[in-house]
Amino acid sequence: MQTSVKTKTLTMIQAITNGLDTMLEQDANVVLMGEDIGVNGGVFRATDGLQVKHGEERVMDTPLSEAGFVGAAIGMAINGYKPVIEIQFLGFIYPAYEQIMTHASRLRARTMGHFHAPIVIRAPYGAGVRAPEIHSDSTEALFTHMPGIKVICPSNPYDAKGLLIASIEDPDPVLFLEPMRCYRSTKQEVPDEKYVVNIGEGKVCREGEDVTIIAWGAMVPIALAAAKALANEEVSCEVIDLRTLYPIDRDIIAQSVQKTGRTVIVHEAHATTSVGNDVLAIINDTSFLFQKAPVQRVTGFDVPVPYFGFEDDYLPTTNRIVHAVQKVMNY
Amino acid sequence: MIEVKLHDIGEGMTQADILTFLVKQGDIVKADDPLVEVQTDKMTAEIPAPMEGIVKEFTVKIGDTVPVGTTLLKIEPLNSKLLQKPSVKMGKKTENAFQTSSSINTKSKRVMAAPFTRKIARDNGINIEDIQGTGPAGRITEEDVLHFIQNKSEQTTLLVNRSERENRRNDSLAEFPTSYSVSYSGRRKQIGTKMAHSLYSIPHCTHYEEIDVSNILQVKADWKMVNKNISATAFFLKAVSLSLKDFPIFNATLNEKEESIHIYNEHHIGVATDTKQGLIVPVIRNVEKKSLLQIHEELKYLTVRAQENKLSVKEMTGSTFTISNVGPLGGSIGATPIINPPEVGLLAFHKTKKRPVVDKNDQIVVRSMMNVSMSFDHRVADGATAVAFTNRLVQLIENPNLFMLELV
Repeated sequence: MQTSVKTKTLTMIQAITNGLDTMLEQDANVVLMGEDIGVNGGVFRATDGLQVKHGEERVMDTPLSEAGFVGAAIGMAINGYKPVIEIQFLGFIYPAYEQIMTHASRLRARTMGHFHAPIVIRAPYGAGVRAPEIHSDSTEALFTHMPGIKVICPSNPYDAKGLLIASIEDPDPVLFLEPMRCYRSTKQEVPDEKYVVNIGEGKVCREGEDVTIIAWGAMVPIALAAAKALANEEVSCEVIDLRTLYPIDRDIIAQSVQKTGRTVIVHEAHATTSVGNDVLAIINDTSFLFQKAPVQRVTGFDVPVPYFGFEDDYLPTTNRIVHAVQKVMNY
Repeated sequence: MIEVKLHDIGEGMTQADILTFLVKQGDIVKADDPLVEVQTDKMTAEIPAPMEGIVKEFTVKIGDTVPVGTTLLKIEPLNSKLLQKPSVKMGKKTENAFQTSSSINTKSKRVMAAPFTRKIARDNGINIEDIQGTGPAGRITEEDVLHFIQNKSEQTTLLVNRSERENRRNDSLAEFPTSYSVSYSGRRKQIGTKMAHSLYSIPHCTHYEEIDVSNILQVKADWKMVNKNISATAFFLKAVSLSLKDFPIFNATLNEKEESIHIYNEHHIGVATDTKQGLIVPVIRNVEKKSLLQIHEELKYLTVRAQENKLSVKEMTGSTFTISNVGPLGGSIGATPIINPPEVGLLAFHKTKKRPVVDKNDQIVVRSMMNVSMSFDHRVADGATAVAFTNRLVQLIENPNLFMLELV
């Protein structure tokens, strides 16, 4: 029996709005909070029209005080709400860092399971959109280090809605990273109805035999473009979108790397102490004996993300990935 | 005390026969010294010492058949304390003990190799330090390991025929100068086991027929004139395939457990080939789809590989019917081919000879005649079907024009 699902062609930002709308409709405990998210619909219009539809008590404009409203959200979460907070850019999250790390992430452990904090912190992040200083940071590694908080990073509209709903329904705090570069770059068929994409599960975006390219967020389309270019050279690349950065899907990494024996990790964050290094450790733990060549990393450089004039020199490109793949192939 | 166990020395063996002990109780052995010679279904191999030590106790006897994992003997590790006191139970081996003491300080060679390359070596029970690397800066590559494995298996076979212990065996055989024995093992034994199983489990029935191949040989000769040299076997293979199309029951396997006969649409025909190592059956796949020229080329390629003992498992398995061309060997009358289980039929082609034949005008003429022997599993097919099958084959080979029509 085949059932038809009603879908709409949406950009990632529209899929996120759709996901928030769906959850506001279906769960009375869901509230949205953030700077200018109500009347203005948020800096990227992710919450456009939601205050008019669901009211000021569900979609709240907050003062410019990240520590304040994240702290308030934690208190609300303890008392039964499911706050979804928007931080305008990931680079603005640091005032709330103490609330997230000291309180939200360890509330469950600290109260021995009596309380938990089901909050979702949405944060646009990443370079490639010509934003000013601090707006383009990719500092996911600052958050993946702390047990108790999940870190999600979708790369396409479908996953964005499914993962957002899964995050809102998750009983623990989730940092939901939205790659700005992907907000309006592609459109995809997205179901109208509520659905979830499971947290903690990566996805094989392209199957291949020779090399595994592991990426997330805005780097997934770049990795896929590199794989396509390499197919012309008869190198068959498997591309994996991690989707969840904490906890990472170890199985999908091990399976693919054990199949191909060669790996290239791609991320736009700085190389040092990065999520990519954790992926390397997973490969070491699970698949050491299958390695045919040392793993290559194509990453941003260990400098603050530069002003937009140099942004392209900072970000991983298709060419850099192709070069790394050639290196592991010719080792 | 270290227990030296029978490990899987390759190809998924499950057990082995103990042939000879290469050391005595009390001997001092170095790491990798051969200790025991064992024989598996496929080869004879030596089990080496995992480390330096004194042979303490044997836990199996010569002639035993033991499963993988069985402890063969025990070795007491030779530590530095013992080396400082060479008087400890070393007797005449003292000299050896001092030799080993120098080797104990020798650091193992450092080799460069990717983990995957090391895995291949480890999986095949090979010490990667023994391999010479040909990669950049002397790195050991996957190919280096694979070559080493290949060479080693060839050497193992050679070693069986030489060495001191072989002399020991010959000494004892000297009492019986008029006979000698060769080992019933390896491939010979495998063939034997398979043949016995086939004959015991399948009710064989063989139908004999003679075929006038004069016309087809003429076609072959004509084609040779225009530099298209196609072997007679290629013709026969194609004729068999065309006959199997009409009588698919012979292109089948019987599964008694499932109580089913699997009849195949593809004709994967095994060609029994005589080699120095014994009978090998390379398989030509999809004969029904291939041209005579393709069959000829493939047959040539596989025969060379069979003679060089280079056939891969894939090239030797998956046949649905088998033919045996004994003609080149000389047998012209007939024989009882033993079916290649679980197949249903096997057809042998015998030597072509010129014989006097009575033609349709009652005249005695000289024709090139060839006999065929068609063995079939009588549980699956009946004699009448086998006769019809060979009749169809005769019809095709004796009438090249008809044969060609089928190829169009």
